Amino acid sequence: MSIPVGHYQYDRIDRDFLQARIAEFEGQVQRRLDGTLSEDEFKPLRLMNGLYLQLHAYMLRVAIPYGILDSRQLRKLGEIARRYDRDYGHFTTRQNIQFNWIRLEDTPAILRELAEVDMHAIQTSGNCIRNVTADEYAGAAADELVDPRVHAEILRQWSTLHPEFTFLPRKFKIAISGSPNDRVAARFHDIGILARPGEDGAPVFRIFVGGGLGRTPVIGEELFDSVREEHLLATLEAILRVYNAHGRRDNIYKARIKILVQAIGVDAYREAVEAELVQMDLERYRLMPEAVAAIRSRFAVPLLEAPADADAVLAQQRRDDPLFDRWVRSNTHVHRDPGHIIATISLKPAGGIPGDATSAQIVRLADLADAYSFGEIRITHLQNVVLGHVRKDRLRDLWLGLAEVGLAEANIGLIGDIVACPGLDYCALANARSIPIAQKLGARFADTALQAEIGALRINISGCINACGHHHAGHIGLLGVDKRGEEFFQLTVGGRAENGAAIGTILGAALPEDETVDAIARLVDCYLGRRESGETFLDTLTRLGHEPFREAAYETV
Amino acid sequence: MKRPVRLEPGQKLVLTANRLLDGRTVWWCADGTWDLHIGRAALLDADEAEAVLARVVAEAQRDGVVGVYDTAVQAAVPPEPVTVREKIRAHGPTVHPEFAVETEQ
Ligand code: HEM
Ligand code: SF4
Repeated sequence: MSIPVGHYQYDRIDRDFLQARIAEFEGQVQRRLDGTLSEDEFKPLRLMNGLYLQLHAYMLRVAIPYGILDSRQLRKLGEIARRYDRDYGHFTTRQNIQFNWIRLEDTPAILRELAEVDMHAIQTSGNCIRNVTADEYAGAAADELVDPRVHAEILRQWSTLHPEFTFLPRKFKIAISGSPNDRVAARFHDIGILARPGEDGAPVFRIFVGGGLGRTPVIGEELFDSVREEHLLATLEAILRVYNAHGRRDNIYKARIKILVQAIGVDAYREAVEAELVQMDLERYRLMPEAVAAIRSRFAVPLLEAPADADAVLAQQRRDDPLFDRWVRSNTHVHRDPGHIIATISLKPAGGIPGDATSAQIVRLADLADAYSFGEIRITHLQNVVLGHVRKDRLRDLWLGLAEVGLAEANIGLIGDIVACPGLDYCALANARSIPIAQKLGARFADTALQAEIGALRINISGCINACGHHHAGHIGLLGVDKRGEEFFQLTVGGRAENGAAIGTILGAALPEDETVDAIARLVDCYLGRRESGETFLDTLTRLGHEPFREAAYETV
Repeated sequence: MKRPVRLEPGQKLVLTANRLLDGRTVWWCADGTWDLHIGRAALLDADEAEAVLARVVAEAQRDGVVGVYDTAVQAAVPPEPVTVREKIRAHGPTVHPEFAVETEQ
């Protein structure tokens, strides 16, 4: 079998382990069904295998390591959606996929099917190191300095089943990027890592700790500026050890690493990590160049060949077709190879459910990946899909193929590209529904010409304070709150997850659900009316301050 | 400790849970079975609900349900839950009208 482009090639050891793990879980399910295990005993076991109980059914969260899949895997996800779910899946902000209508008794069979394509649901829940996320343009973007996938894979191997870190005080999320443009929200993770080339050519890593969203949003602080590659694992191990030893276990709301870093200060945290490093066996954790090279060799490199006129063909097609041109403007990114381009496929059709895809769409995406991008697909942390290596002269054919299955929406990075958590339509923890408000906003701003006119503007929606929809990091954020059984939304503005990370500011009292969309439309009108040439929403907000936007949002008509 | 239930006039309590096998939302019926349709749920007064709940919780494993609790409904036909959350559990996700529980079986 040839090595897949984009992700790591698993081997016999990985596969044997997965089979053993499924057999173990199957036994646990059996014992739950026959009553040997109580629900209290079984719940942590099923969560370790990614199985949640939501409002209407079980939900299975499947890991997509650093968000990269091959077409065979994607096709399998489509088949699972068709056979075991209600014909669709939901891509999440952590680059995973969730199935919403899973039966407990089917779960071992589903896990077996996933294992056939080297996939699983381990460490997608629980107080362990979760799926490591990475830049969705990894290995493709022109602005990339270091391909983060190799180190993301090293982190995956290090963190998977790490015996010391299976029962941390709380869940732990790591993101890694190798671009100067942060596309992973590095400063909103427990650990955020930004790689760049060091003086000797080997990568060095800038490490942030203690970022997070949830009920206490915190921007991660820099712990180290330049960790050398050989010390990457030792450093992470030491950071986790300090957290594992000192993180609070008495109060679930104060258990994340961000609370510990805030409590003792980043300097004290750094000292504790350095003290840990001094007494650790560094040899054991030393990451040798040969080991890194061995991992790298298990990623196939796509053979990027394009005709000399690929760029000219694309330019001509853009001139001939304004609709295509609009899509190229919003939905592509510059590739490191001049004959290729990165295409982002929006899973945010106007009025649709952000991040949802039907089985038919999933299978078609797999086919298109085979035809146009070396059979490789990436899931983004903004709930979209990327084909990383598309030949420029074939981009239009891809776009036409996408249009056939309703996936040619031209709105990436625009107001229609809304991030929303499942909210009260599915989630047992929710206060309000996130999806309907996203749908109404999507429909309100459906016109892609209007979206292009508004420019860069991210809306993020969470159905409760857990912030799975990253509302604190949205340029406009919506948080669902429950007021005596009714749905209300609190608005924030000015959040951002990119470079210059910021937490949004609350504009005022929460609004009733049926007034929220109008309030946001007035906010946007306020910006359009007052922006100066070339300004984005965030620019205008920074220049004017919040007051005019607050007035617009709360203006009663 | 369970919070004391305070019902508005015209409200009753129903018992609800999720089915162990498939996680589906179910409602407790007067004949002791569990049903997908809230229309078949037994309507309980606040003073009797506590004892019934204790009995039903004790039988949850045998009945194949998890997470039994009570919730207030308007005592109409069919009864309608008071909170948005329980309305959505009773009828299905609002964003997928084709999955409305009412249209099943
Ligand atoms: C059954 C569904 C879900 C449950 C029960 C759940 C639960 C939670 C909880 C309790 C937190 C807060 C953690 C803390 O602050 O300590 C959280 C945070 C978060 N969840 Fe979810 N979640 C669910 C679905 C999702 C989905 C669908 C996504 C992606 C769209 C997601 C992504 C995140 C992210 C990015 C955060 C915030 C980052 C952080 O501080 O950890 N979750 N979730
Ligand atoms: S933010 Fe709240 S409502 Fe939304 S998925 Fe997370 S826990 Fe559920």
